[in-house]
Formats: sequence, C-alpha cells, structure tokens
Amino acid sequence: MKKLIFALGIILVTSTLNQAVAQCNTEKYIEACIPKLQEGFTFLKSYNIDGEGGAKNKVEYSYVFTKGATYQILICNDGQSTDGIVLTLYDSNRKAVASTKYQGSTLSAIAFPCQVTGIYYITYTFEGSSNYCGGSVLGFKR
Amino acid sequence: MKSTLIGLFGFLVLFACDSKKKPSAEEISGVLDSVKIEEPAISEEVISDIIQQIPSPLEISTLLKEAETKYDKSHLNDPENISNYNTNFDKALALGIYGTDLGYTNIYGQNQDALFYLNAIKSLADDLSIGQFFDIGTIKRLATNSKNLDSLLLITTKNFNSINAYLQSQKRSNLSVLLLSGGWLEALYIVSKVSEKNPENEQLKETIGEQKIIMDNVALLLSFYVNNDPNIKDLAAKFSQLQEEFNKIEIKTVYREPTYEVVDGMLVVKDNSSSEIIMTDENIVSIRNMVYEIRNNIIN
Repeated sequence: MKKLIFALGIILVTSTLNQAVAQCNTEKYIEACIPKLQEGFTFLKSYNIDGEGGAKNKVEYSYVFTKGATYQILICNDGQSTDGIVLTLYDSNRKAVASTKYQGSTLSAIAFPCQVTGIYYITYTFEGSSNYCGGSVLGFKR
Repeated sequence: MKSTLIGLFGFLVLFACDSKKKPSAEEISGVLDSVKIEEPAISEEVISDIIQQIPSPLEISTLLKEAETKYDKSHLNDPENISNYNTNFDKALALGIYGTDLGYTNIYGQNQDALFYLNAIKSLADDLSIGQFFDIGTIKRLATNSKNLDSLLLITTKNFNSINAYLQSQKRSNLSVLLLSGGWLEALYIVSKVSEKNPENEQLKETIGEQKIIMDNVALLLSFYVNNDPNIKDLAAKFSQLQEEFNKIEIKTVYREPTYEVVDGMLVVKDNSSSEIIMTDENIVSIRNMVYEIRNNIIN
C-alpha cells in the first residue's frame, strides 16, 4: 500500500513539474508585439506560439491575404531575441513564400506585399529554442 | 442531445415551480434558444482553423477609405434596429454586422456614430453572455477623441478576436460562425453599395470578385451546422445560392518566384506572382442583388 501511495505521489509530482515547465504565457509577448508594428499598419490578429515545452515542433495558422494589401508579421519573445522561433509563410499551394531564416540569420519579421488573394499558411517552427514559447502579430496596410 | 434534454428539463422545472404563471411565448423562445445545439460532427479545431482564415472586415473598410470614397451612413445597419433581434441566432448575426459597421465608422473617424454602434454591440454581447469583453467606459473614452482612433481600433479588434476564441472554447462556435458570417456579409454589402455608386472603380469590382475565396470558407463553416440548427440551415441555403453566383467567376494565378531584401532587420518580400479575376459586370450585378436581399432580410 505504501509503495502504491509513493508511486502515485511520484506521478503527481512529475505531472505537476511537467505542467510548470510547459506553461507558456504568450499573452505578455503579444502585448509587447503589437506596438512594434510599423507606423501605418493596422493590427489584425495575434497568434500564440506555444510549442508545449518542445512537445510540438510546429504551430500553424492560416489567413486569407488580399491582393493589394501589405502584411507584416512579427515574432516576439524576450527582448530582441526570437528564441529560435522561425516563421515561414506558405501560399495556398503550400509553396514557401518567405522565411525569417534568411541567409544564415534569423530575423524577427516579414513584410509581404500580397499580389495574389488566397489562403496563406503562417507556420512557426523551433530551432534551438529554450522555451518553445512566444507571440506573434499580424498587421496590414493598404 | 444530452444538453438539449438538460435544457428542456431546466425549462420544465423553471415553470413547474409556479404553475399559476404561464410562460410567455418570448420566454419559451428565449429558453429554447439558449439550449446548446448539438455539436457538429467536425472537430472544434478544424472549425477554429477555418474561422481564423476569414479576413477582417476592416480590410474592406480600409480599402474604401484609401479609394477616397465618402463615408456613407446609409450603407450601415441602423443601431435602432437592435429591437428586431430576439433570438441568439439573430443577435449573433447582428453582432457581426454591427462589428463591421463599427470598424467602418472607426476607419472614417466617425466617433459619434461609433458610439451608437458600441452601445448596440455591448447590448447584444451582454445578451449573448459575452459582454465581459467590452469595457465600455474605456472604449467610450477613446471614442470621444479622434486622436485615440488607433487605440479604439486596436481595442475593438482585440475584443472581437477574444470573443471568437472564447465562444470556441465554450463550444458555442455556432455563434462564432454566425458572428463571422454577419460581419463578412456586411462588409460585402458595403463594398457592393459603394461599387454601385462608383461603377468606374474597377478595384471595388475586383474586391467583390475576390470574395469568392472567402465565400467558400463561410459556406463550408455554415454547412457544419445545417443538420443541427434549422436557422443556420435556412441561412446556409441562401449563402449557397450566393456561392453559385460566385462560382461563375474565375481567378487565374501566375506564380513567379519572389525576391527578397532585408530592411531594418525585417525580411521584405517582393511578390512577383500575379492574378487575374475573370468576371463580367453581370456577375457583379447578380452578386450585388443577392447580397442586398440576404442582408436586408437579416437586418429586418
């Protein structure tokens, strides 16, 4: 009986610890991100980037971009860092349009003047991330 | 089914307590209407993904302002029509419609009108138990000064995003779909009205034609509920007719590799692809007339 209680206790503590590690407060990153949209851009959407402590290797959203509008997508983490979060934009045929991993450096934003109206996929992946957690915002201007 | 039975049981208990008091038709309708509908067979995650895709009606309002078309209040749904909306179905659709109207007044800096829409929105949101997303005091304070336009726009956009997320988390995504359908239809109505007044403006016609892509998504979302909700079934049938008109339009795309440059730490993409919308003026007139009919039917 003692052994059983001990085992249950271990399971409970491990699960609590896992939850604590996996907790990701994306809201604070998003709040910090919105004012970083360049002047003239109107806020449209915010995206939670929660890799659940590494359990997920990809977080994806989609949005219909409209021809003639310029979209700006920012990644936010602590300070200027992106903590290994890479944003890749795909078109409706799942063809990569742009990535923040560009010529050896990892950037924190993409500006996309859209020429073809359609569904675009906004994908976040993690490369050497320590927290697997961040926020992102989408803005647009005409 | 279980939630329907619980709702009906609650309804019986409520009125069995006072046998002398007969419920009014409105009370009955209210209770039955608040009973959660059966969830669709499709997962909430899929529904949420599709909802996320639908562009904000603000984009169309911004286009109208950039095209230097004048602000026209007559294109909007009068806030006083709020008394017409008695069921959750009506209220959710109207909330979406008023949300788009609020965005339009915001973009044009018409803060006095915005206040009327805010009041209507707050009232509908309260009725749908989502009023907590509107700190009406802060919003009104922002709305009384045109310098606060950006903040007002931001706060109302965030609120609508939060409402959608909340409704989905509460397994009330049917309301979220209605809110979104109403909002999209109103944006399409406004751009159709403005296009009718400015027939020489090809960009406005193209914007109407491009809605074909969003139409498909909205029709798909409504289709998930047609077996569970008779009101949505009726609405979906009307949207389906509209979709048939949109299907007469063809969108041709030519893909070319994009080019890039880095400016101030940001990757700036040059999209070299192009698209062409093949449609006639008759297509636009048919779509426009159908949009007017569906929208006017909803608001009245």
